[in-house]
Amino acid sequence: MPREVIVLEDVVKVYRVGDIVTYGLRGVSLKIYEGEFIAIMGPSGSGKTTLLNMIGLLDKPSSGRIYIDGVEVSKLSAREIARVRNLKIGFVFQFFNLINRLTVLENIEMPLIPRGIPRPERVERAKEALLLAGGELSWLPKKPLQLSGGQQQRVAIARAIVGNPSIILADEPTGNLDRASTKTVIQTFLELNKRGATIAMVTHDPEVANCTQKIYIIRDGMIVGVREPDKSRCVLYTQ
Amino acid sequence: MAALQFIFDFFRLSIKALTERKTRALLTIIGIAIGPLALVMISSVIDGYGDYVISQIEGLGQNAIVLFPESNYRFTQKDLDAIRALPHVKRAEPFYSIQAQVRVGTQTRMVFVYAIPIDVVFEAIKGLEIYKGYTPSDTEYLKALVGYKIAFDDNNNQVYDLGDVISVTYIRSSGGKQEIKKASISIAGILKEFGGAFFLSPDTTIFLPLPAGQRVLGLSDWSGIFVLVDSSTYVSDVMEQLRQMFGSSASIISFQSIANIANSIIGAMNFISFSASLSAFAVAVAGVAATMITSVVERTREIGVLKALGFSDPQVLIMILMEGVVMSLIGGAIGISLGIVGAHILASRGFEIRAATQAVMVVKASPKITAMGIGRAVGLTVLVGVLGGIFPAYRASKIPPAVALRYE
Repeated sequence: MPREVIVLEDVVKVYRVGDIVTYGLRGVSLKIYEGEFIAIMGPSGSGKTTLLNMIGLLDKPSSGRIYIDGVEVSKLSAREIARVRNLKIGFVFQFFNLINRLTVLENIEMPLIPRGIPRPERVERAKEALLLAGGELSWLPKKPLQLSGGQQQRVAIARAIVGNPSIILADEPTGNLDRASTKTVIQTFLELNKRGATIAMVTHDPEVANCTQKIYIIRDGMIVGVREPDKSRCVLYTQ
Repeated sequence: MAALQFIFDFFRLSIKALTERKTRALLTIIGIAIGPLALVMISSVIDGYGDYVISQIEGLGQNAIVLFPESNYRFTQKDLDAIRALPHVKRAEPFYSIQAQVRVGTQTRMVFVYAIPIDVVFEAIKGLEIYKGYTPSDTEYLKALVGYKIAFDDNNNQVYDLGDVISVTYIRSSGGKQEIKKASISIAGILKEFGGAFFLSPDTTIFLPLPAGQRVLGLSDWSGIFVLVDSSTYVSDVMEQLRQMFGSSASIISFQSIANIANSIIGAMNFISFSASLSAFAVAVAGVAATMITSVVERTREIGVLKALGFSDPQVLIMILMEGVVMSLIGGAIGISLGIVGAHILASRGFEIRAATQAVMVVKASPKITAMGIGRAVGLTVLVGVLGGIFPAYRASKIPPAVALRYE
């Protein structure tokens, strides 16, 4: 029986602006097991990103409990939460969120800085991560804006995995990419998953979602369904 | 080791962040530089001149006291004898003094003329030496020992030599009337250049034997009495006795007390210049804060990314704060360097000591640049970075990561 890595119990997120109350999540319960690759799908404003932010400890629930590796997150201090994010979680964003003034190398090694790892070791690990993400070492001295969108996303993936996290959270990682780049990114995720990473990915694209092992459907802040992906319709196998 | 690595990394990231906004950072750095520039430049010049003045005053005799009669009093032989009888008084000599004009080459120079037993001057002022000639005796009252800057002009060309006659023009008050008088004095000796101080500058002084006061200058009353004490430790005791003896009939001044007063004045000037510099530092704090707030707002999304990558709130705070400190250090280095250069330029101009409209002497002193002064400027400049950066850095550290990542 695989271990439960991420557990959400009746998680509610309420946004209040003056008298206006908006529900981001309405009692979401979810279990993601070690080594799983899941997709979260739903229309815009359904709460996909809010759910991913909860899992990634970027936001706090209004009520409910979140467990990461069996530890209830609400009992952790802000510093401990930052440490969990740094050691256990890697983020990939739709718009890459690379720091454009820094080189590719400096971007990739960024998560290793809070750990106080010496520069030579960081450089080695950044190179390994970039190669694993399907990138090329010739990109290292370049600035992100000198690369294509697909290349930038591979750099962002390298940054997410450089710290060897057990969980990768991706928010629409292919939403801003062409089809060829989308395939490369998904292939990279499948390779990382094969190596043991637990991956949760928000996507609009059914062909991307079909490459995962489980698809959660979210609507109006609630998980309304879970379905098995149709592997034959994975972006890797379609024209 | 990890902490050192951390600081080094944040320092490097700060430099990168600042180079992305070169113009803004440069303008802020210029704003920061003004504080240390002003502080180092003004303080070191004041300290340099202060030390110079103090050393000159002290060089005039730590054990010397001068008595000047008040307007309704005149010193008598009885007073002189009473002073000479006081314990610890080594010598007491009367003197006549006036200010006068002499021609030195093409210039008219204001000089001091003292008629005094000249040997007492040598006894009081250590380091005073004769360049050429000799000290005239009391019977040679038409002869004088003149200061170096009377015999030589500003370009160091000798204008007067031994045996030459100097025409001295001065104003004499008698019976409420003032009249312009002239006297001709023959040069018996020329003093070596001394450097001079405020109210007794040997370089611009003509020393005559005591009888010349009456016979050459036509003065009837002593201008004062010059007292030498056995040792500087007895100066205050003797001054106290002189005060009891003369009450309000005479002003009693010691070079030691003048040095103390000068020290107080220099201290006050330093405080004023320090306070003025602080206003420049305060403006710099506002400048750093404005720059950092703008920077934090512009980089809100980036701060969200850093938090998503695992940077803790204190780490974000230190990183942003470091940018303010780095700007301060650069501004401080520029300001202090320019301050040192400026201090040398300012000090090299010297300042003139004037009597009426005439420059009596130009005093030049090197600025006093000390490690403590530089340390103070560096400390204040770093404080500017910390104070200016702390609020924006705190604000950045407290932005919830999910909110920061949504920021457009």
